Amino acid sequence: MSNGNDETVFYRGRHYFVLLILLFLLASLIARALYLQIVEKDFLFSQGEQRQIRTIETPAYRGTIFDRFGTPLAISTPVDSVWVNPPEILQNLPALKQVTAKLGLNYRDTVALLKQKANKEFVYLRRQLEPELAGQVAAIADGVYLQREYHRYYPAGEVVSHLVGFTNVDDQGQEGLELMYEGWLKAQPGKRRVIRNRRGAVIENLAQVKRARSGNDLTSSIDMRLQYIAYRSLARAMKYHAAKSASAVVLDAKTGEILAMVNQPSYNPNQNKNKSPAQRRNRAITDVFEPGSTIKPFTLAAAIDRGLYDQTSHIDTTPGWFMVSGYPVKDVRNYGVLDLAGILRKSSNVGASRIAQTLQREEMWQSFSDYGFGQTPGISFPAESSGYFSHYSTWQPLDHATMAFGYGLSVSITQLARAYSVIANHGRQLDLSLIKVYPEDVPDNEISRTVMKASTAKMVLQMLEQVVGPQGTATRAAVDGYRIAGKTGTVKKSVDGGYQEDDYMAIFAGMAPASNPRLVMAVVIDEPSQNGYYGGQVAAPVFQEVMSNALRILDIAPDDLSELARSNGVEPGA
Amino acid sequence: MPRVYLLALLLTLVLSSAITVIYVKHESRVLFAELRNTQKLQDHEVIEWGRLQLQNSTLATHSNVESRARKTLKMRIPEKVQLVQLP
Repeated sequence: MSNGNDETVFYRGRHYFVLLILLFLLASLIARALYLQIVEKDFLFSQGEQRQIRTIETPAYRGTIFDRFGTPLAISTPVDSVWVNPPEILQNLPALKQVTAKLGLNYRDTVALLKQKANKEFVYLRRQLEPELAGQVAAIADGVYLQREYHRYYPAGEVVSHLVGFTNVDDQGQEGLELMYEGWLKAQPGKRRVIRNRRGAVIENLAQVKRARSGNDLTSSIDMRLQYIAYRSLARAMKYHAAKSASAVVLDAKTGEILAMVNQPSYNPNQNKNKSPAQRRNRAITDVFEPGSTIKPFTLAAAIDRGLYDQTSHIDTTPGWFMVSGYPVKDVRNYGVLDLAGILRKSSNVGASRIAQTLQREEMWQSFSDYGFGQTPGISFPAESSGYFSHYSTWQPLDHATMAFGYGLSVSITQLARAYSVIANHGRQLDLSLIKVYPEDVPDNEISRTVMKASTAKMVLQMLEQVVGPQGTATRAAVDGYRIAGKTGTVKKSVDGGYQEDDYMAIFAGMAPASNPRLVMAVVIDEPSQNGYYGGQVAAPVFQEVMSNALRILDIAPDDLSELARSNGVEPGA
Repeated sequence: MPRVYLLALLLTLVLSSAITVIYVKHESRVLFAELRNTQKLQDHEVIEWGRLQLQNSTLATHSNVESRARKTLKMRIPEKVQLVQLP
């Protein structure tokens, strides 16, 4: 090698050639790097983010509706819907077979369906599944996805459906409390941006786009125990008398809370089918009727309040009818001379009309309005009716006479119950509430106002007790151990301006215990066609059944133990 | 010479800072995974709670309780004569 040095030839040309190629390669690398970093940067950045960053929804629940003791009436529970991407799943038929087996679907039909929709990317296999089962299904293969949804359940079903109402598929309230308190109950799902890894699992929270806000819970005034009893009794009466419809309301006389409100026919809100408007309507609040004899206590109260009569007054109803503007006002028969209690006991139209005629029209209008006729009961329920009660300036002499016994004006059963609660509550009127009332939170004068003298209310209450007594029309409303006060009504239905001979409404409104009323209840049964039609025959037994159970359940002390004491061989008061 | 030391010091600081960033990032992902798991657990419990509430209200339906009381337990409302008033 020593003399090989001389033989070394320096190929200058080759040297530069290689150097040039290396430089060129380096330059192209730098150029590419610059191009990616500067020119294409935004595009690549956004592409990367698109693959990693997702905006996902944070779930939020619609509020639960409870009864006054915390029994749920409407609950939202999470469910999962299973969906697939047809082209993706069709490549994995064994998995699809497993999935259909798990879901109880026909494999061949499913494949046919998916092939038909092969150009779509989103097909539901099954909606609203229990999350546990859905999780098992999703675990079978990669191409099966879940979508979280919420299903609203109504555990009490048809017993309280008119009050609670229901929501639509999009979880929006459509009827009842669900509609009335939509803003309060509504959930607002949140949104947040997250980073997901290759397998789709969320690995980092980037930002909260929108805060999730779950709906608020609602505690209603309903007592499900009473609600159930009222529902059962009303349904039974409706069937027994083959009636067209029926409604009943139970109020707490001291707070104005609605403890129970039921209607027939009813519907099951858990089933979406067969909901006609006739079934859906909360008749107790929306439907009005002429109250008939049940209004007589208020005619008397208006007159007693103005000092025109007291319990010693007597009215001569002979001969059992009289003429007003050419129309007769009639009683069933000639009752002769009656005291005020007798007018209620016998339900004398003539007596009530005679009393009304001693009142100025304006006075009568003012008193009836004060008792709540023509006024909404203050619940703000959807489609709440204020009834029909015209201004006194439009009254004819006949209107003045017939309104005294409940024709020529109309009320809802809830309005009627509220009016009776004035008598029960010593002349103080309350706004009704479907929401639980905490009396300590509300000053007295804010929830009630005096519309009748306490002495008048007491006098009328004592008269109403006689109606349920042995001489009255409502003997079947009597409850063992308790003093009951109430009034029956049997109303001829008016259709197209005329009165139907054979179509009646049976009504009863009453309260218990009469010594210090705690509960007020009103019942109306529309067109009873079997087994009687009088209020005392049809509506009073419903009152009796509900009241006797309600008084026991609410642990209200009996105030009439004379008979019990006698049957035990002990003298009353011993 | 001191310049070389300064450079070495800064290099060490930069490197350790970089490693800390990596470590903290990892830590945050671990904690986030834990959070996700806890949220999933919570979700599961909420589902279970709803299910139990529904089951409870189904079993405790008043008609159900009533028919059991009457048929299985043969309970009934006492007659008037069976009531005794305590003084």
